[in-house]
Amino acid sequence: MKAAQAGSVDAFADLVRSYRERLLRFLLTRCASYADAEDALQDTLINAYRYIQSYDARWRFSTWLYRIAINNAAKIRSPDVVELGELRDEESDPLLQCINDSDTENLWLSARRILNDDVFAAMWLRYAEDMSVNDISRALDRSASWTKVNLLRGRRALDAGMNGGRNESEAYG
Amino acid sequence: MDKLANRLREDADKIEVSVSEELDHRIAASLQGITPEAAAGKPRERARPLGFWWASSLTGIAAAIAVIVIINRQQVEEPPVAVPANIVAAVPVFDLKAESAALTGPLQQELENLQADIRKAEKKVKEDIGL
Repeated sequence: MKAAQAGSVDAFADLVRSYRERLLRFLLTRCASYADAEDALQDTLINAYRYIQSYDARWRFSTWLYRIAINNAAKIRSPDVVELGELRDEESDPLLQCINDSDTENLWLSARRILNDDVFAAMWLRYAEDMSVNDISRALDRSASWTKVNLLRGRRALDAGMNGGRNESEAYG
Repeated sequence: MDKLANRLREDADKIEVSVSEELDHRIAASLQGITPEAAAGKPRERARPLGFWWASSLTGIAAAIAVIVIINRQQVEEPPVAVPANIVAAVPVFDLKAESAALTGPLQQELENLQADIRKAEKKVKEDIGL
C-alpha cells in the first residue's frame, strides 16, 4: 500500500489484482452491457490509483474500492435507466450471459427484479462479498440502521420470491 | 450460514467473469499516465518561507507611508481657477453696503444710548461728591 501511495503503478496493480474479477462481477449487475462494466472497472481502478493517497486505512480496502465502483457504475449507466430491474431485455443482459446453466433461476436475477438499486447492492456486498454492516453502509454512503433494515427487507423479499408465497412485483427498499 | 445466504453465495459464484488481456492492457496503459493526487487533508508545502511573507508585507507598508509623506510635502496651493465670464455675468450683484447698514444700525443706536447713559451717570456722581 505504501509503495502504491508513493506512486508505484506496479505496486498498485499487485494490490488490486485480486479484486478485479470481483469488482467486474459486481459491476456486471449494475451496467447495461459487458463493455460498460469493463469501462466502469477501468474507471474505478484509475480513480482508485489517482486518489490512493486519500485512502483512509480505517476502511477495508475492498470497501473503498466498491464505493468508487458504485459511483462509476452510476455515471456509466444510461440516464434514462432508473432501476436495475428495468435495465435490459434478456438477450442482451450481460449478467444473464455470464451465468452458468442451472435448473433453477439464479437468485441474483430475481434479486435484481425485486429489489431496488441500493438494496440490491447491500445484499450483494453482504452475501456475495461477506462485508460487515458497517462496511456496507460506508460503501453505499448510508447509515448502519438503513443497511440493517434493508438487508432484512431484501431477505424477506427474496425468501418470498423463492417460496412463491409473495407477489414478486412488490418492490422492497 | 442459513439457506438463503448459502444460495446467494453459490449463485454469485455461478456468475463467471474474467478480465480479458485487452482490458488488462487498457487498465495498465491508463494507470501509466496518472500521478496520484495529494490527499486533500494534507497541508500544501509553502512555496516560500514564512519570513518572506513578513518581509514583503513590511516593505509594502513602508513604501505606502513614504508615498503619503512625499505627497503631503509636495502639496502646493493650487492657483484659483478663473471663473468664466458668462458665469460672472449670471451671478446677481447684491448691495452689500446697504445690507451691512441695515444689520448694524440698531446696534449703533444702542451703543450711543449706552454712552449717553454713562455720561449722565458721570455727571451725577461728580455732583454728588461736590466736584
